[in-house]
Amino acid sequence: MDPKPKALTILDIVAIVLFLAAVWMVFFFAPLEAVMGQVQKVFYFHVATAWVGMLGFMAAGVAGIAYLRTQNLKWDIVEVAAVEISLVFFFIAIVLGSIWARPIWNTWWTWDPRLTTAAIVELVYAAYMLLRQGIDDPERRARFGAVYTILGFVSVPITFLTIRILRTIHPVVVGSSEGGNIGMTGDMKIVFFFSLFVFTVIFADLLWHRVRLGQLAAKVEQERLKVLS
Amino acid sequence: MNIFSLLSQSGPAETTDYFIAGYTIFFIVMGLYLLSLSLRQRSLKQELAMLAEDLP
Repeated sequence: MDPKPKALTILDIVAIVLFLAAVWMVFFFAPLEAVMGQVQKVFYFHVATAWVGMLGFMAAGVAGIAYLRTQNLKWDIVEVAAVEISLVFFFIAIVLGSIWARPIWNTWWTWDPRLTTAAIVELVYAAYMLLRQGIDDPERRARFGAVYTILGFVSVPITFLTIRILRTIHPVVVGSSEGGNIGMTGDMKIVFFFSLFVFTVIFADLLWHRVRLGQLAAKVEQERLKVLS
Repeated sequence: MNIFSLLSQSGPAETTDYFIAGYTIFFIVMGLYLLSLSLRQRSLKQELAMLAEDLP
């Protein structure tokens, strides 16, 4: 494995500092919501993790297109890294949403269009990780992964748009002035957009680490083949 | 507690337990993922070192 680049160390430090700042802002700076109380603060990281999840699924689709155009396996490493990180963040988003829903909707889960499509997205990409493992040939696996992530990405904008085009009880956080949205004060907006920014930086940092791990795994695979031959 | 009882109350609802549960789960899942990245990296490095010894 190549030595850790200095830029990655700097990005690690920046990500940690920003993350601690975001946690402090959520816990001590964000005002208490007048009706929902403390649980409303869950939504800052709920939206941020969902955003990063969708960003990663999109990045995986772009890496899939890049692989099909170049046939370079480095794009397959980027693709699987982006999906893995996004699966973790999207899972957190679903769990945080469920925890918020319990006191507000009086249920942990309901088959609302947004919740249902979000669960489908998570399952689509979990299946991607499982199916990949069943293909031994790296090039065939990469080709399958590329096509899968491009097609699988269709589920992401559908999930994003469900609360805007379908009848749903899920609140619209950004881009709606109609009823059902969460009305945020100025300080809430600061914490909200800061959290989105911080999680984007964390995603970039984790993606870099995960890509390096994928490169190391590829190197181990090559060495293993050398030993066997 | 539901949205109607929340709206009819005078002050913010007492939902601190859910807030704590949410962030606890967040830190646990993130911690486990970071641990998994670290363990996989260590395991691959060990395997690479072993393979290097096996090569002529």
